[in-house]
Amino acid sequence: MKEIRIFHEAIENTSNMARKIKAGQKKIIGHLCSYTPEELIYAAGFHPMRLFSSKSDIVLAEKHLQSYCCSPVRGVLEDSLSGRLDFLDGTVFPHTCDSIQRLSDIWRMNGKYEFFADVILPAKLNTRSAKTYMTDVLTGFKKELEKASGKKITDTSLHESIKKFNLIRENLSKIYELNSHNPGLIKGADLYAIVKGSMVMDKDEVAGLLPVIAANLEKIDPPSEKGKRIVISGSICDSPGFYETIEEAGGLIAGDDLCTGQRWFEGMIQEDGDPMTAIASRYFDRINCPAKHTSLTFRGENIVSLARKNNAKGVIFMLLKFCDPHAFDYPYLKEYLDKEKIKTMAVEIDEQQQSLGQLSTRIETFIHMI
Amino acid sequence: MIYAGIDIGSITAKAAFIKGNKLLGTRVIPSGYNPLNAGIKVFKGLLKKTKVLKSDITAIVSTGYGRASVDFADKAMTEIICHGAGAFFMNPEIRGIIDVGGQDSKAILLDRKGHVDNFAMNDKCAAGTGRFFEVMANALGLKLNQLGDFSLKADKPSKISSICTVFAESEVISMIAGQEKRENIIAGIHESAAARISSLSSKIGIKEPVMMTGGVAKNKGFLKALENRLGFELIMGNLPQENGAIGAAVLASRL
Repeated sequence: MKEIRIFHEAIENTSNMARKIKAGQKKIIGHLCSYTPEELIYAAGFHPMRLFSSKSDIVLAEKHLQSYCCSPVRGVLEDSLSGRLDFLDGTVFPHTCDSIQRLSDIWRMNGKYEFFADVILPAKLNTRSAKTYMTDVLTGFKKELEKASGKKITDTSLHESIKKFNLIRENLSKIYELNSHNPGLIKGADLYAIVKGSMVMDKDEVAGLLPVIAANLEKIDPPSEKGKRIVISGSICDSPGFYETIEEAGGLIAGDDLCTGQRWFEGMIQEDGDPMTAIASRYFDRINCPAKHTSLTFRGENIVSLARKNNAKGVIFMLLKFCDPHAFDYPYLKEYLDKEKIKTMAVEIDEQQQSLGQLSTRIETFIHMI
Repeated sequence: MIYAGIDIGSITAKAAFIKGNKLLGTRVIPSGYNPLNAGIKVFKGLLKKTKVLKSDITAIVSTGYGRASVDFADKAMTEIICHGAGAFFMNPEIRGIIDVGGQDSKAILLDRKGHVDNFAMNDKCAAGTGRFFEVMANALGLKLNQLGDFSLKADKPSKISSICTVFAESEVISMIAGQEKRENIIAGIHESAAARISSLSSKIGIKEPVMMTGGVAKNKGFLKALENRLGFELIMGNLPQENGAIGAAVLASRL
């Protein structure tokens, strides 16, 4: 499908894509987290772009970050220090894990880009004060963006932005749902390219392409189901080879609980009413990442229902090496799945590691076993 | 009907033929750098040894890290599945397998039918595997097959704290410089590897009876250290190194 190819091309050469965005007189604000209030950045007239590591060798970042920081954090710093992110006009760091917090400090002190902001989001999302606090933090961030752009962010522009992001979310959900009904309808590597592309590409372009892809997928005769349905859980999965390994081993990716997947796009923002309150509300409704807290049961119940809804035979936890929040939650999530007799396997990945040889042995055995 | 299994490991390539529930023969050769050539060579060698004609082989399953390279096999399956099938073929009572090969170590749990129920595998580091022992034997000026007997003569095993092959080697070299007895150093090496493998086994809650497979099963000193750690005796197959290839042949008969 030529629309899907556009996503692949965009993620293969992000700096080229960034150049095109800049040619349209748009400034680019980078970020590293699915909790980034992208709607505000877009409404301010900037382009919000999720940053992914280029997976180059770590040389310059070694001076700043220990090897026990996760590979995406070290990788993105390396990209910045070696000039690969010079297209950026600014960066925003929402409060998530410790590694990203420390990256934010190093980033600010290196002061490479014009705009810098920390958005100190609440970590506990189940208190009453969290909502008020959240709206205040977002209002503060809005002011910083207004200062940077030199113009006010109106409610009208916020409403438009919300609509745009809702359209993207709605269509990504639709594509996921179609694939969940008939896993294999779209290859894992294509699904990965579409989601990653949606995070980095021009939002207007994405909003134009996704409905076409969804409509085309609806028309395709689904392939007969040959394989075992798998759900992937974890943080950032920036390795198309990982999806291919699962598919080659006889697995079908039916759904995910990934920061670079469903967790980023699920949950719509209410389109009427006060836009700032509406944006803040979504953070409380959607499934949280392990760096945030909603309730003792929320994530456990969510992974079970995700596995059930997708008829998954097994769940593969893709843990990034040294990602403490996800590693901490893994035994808890596994316990929930064990109780339901859903088989699990955890694999630890380092983005710098390119060989999937040993990993494929484990994935093949797991898929054979379930 | 004769079925063949070919296991291309990181250090050695193995082949096995079975007919019904009878093992016709096995063969082991070094893997070299070309997994396909190793596969062809070990297969042809076993045809000659067992006087079986290629046309008599009904199906072939390949396994091991080089499994995908064996283009004349009917199917490639992982060594974990094959070790399960191999151990069950040799002894249907077996519920657990500890396999220590050239660069991987695995603990496998089998159900009553001999299917893999759970498994754990070392991540990336080769500590406690065949390659680890090769490096250590080299540092101590011994042949790999001398390690077992030497360590059984130890009076006070040395303490090797590093879990990384490279760091453990430099630790061993400082011990040599400090004139520690070679027997004690080797016993220490075995204990450090045994600690690693037993933690892998406890991860999946291994159940007796447990069979030891893989080339490292030939090292008696290591086995003793591992049994001490686990607190139970391991069952030794006659052909631990060939077990994966035997399992592959069993799985070929089910294709």
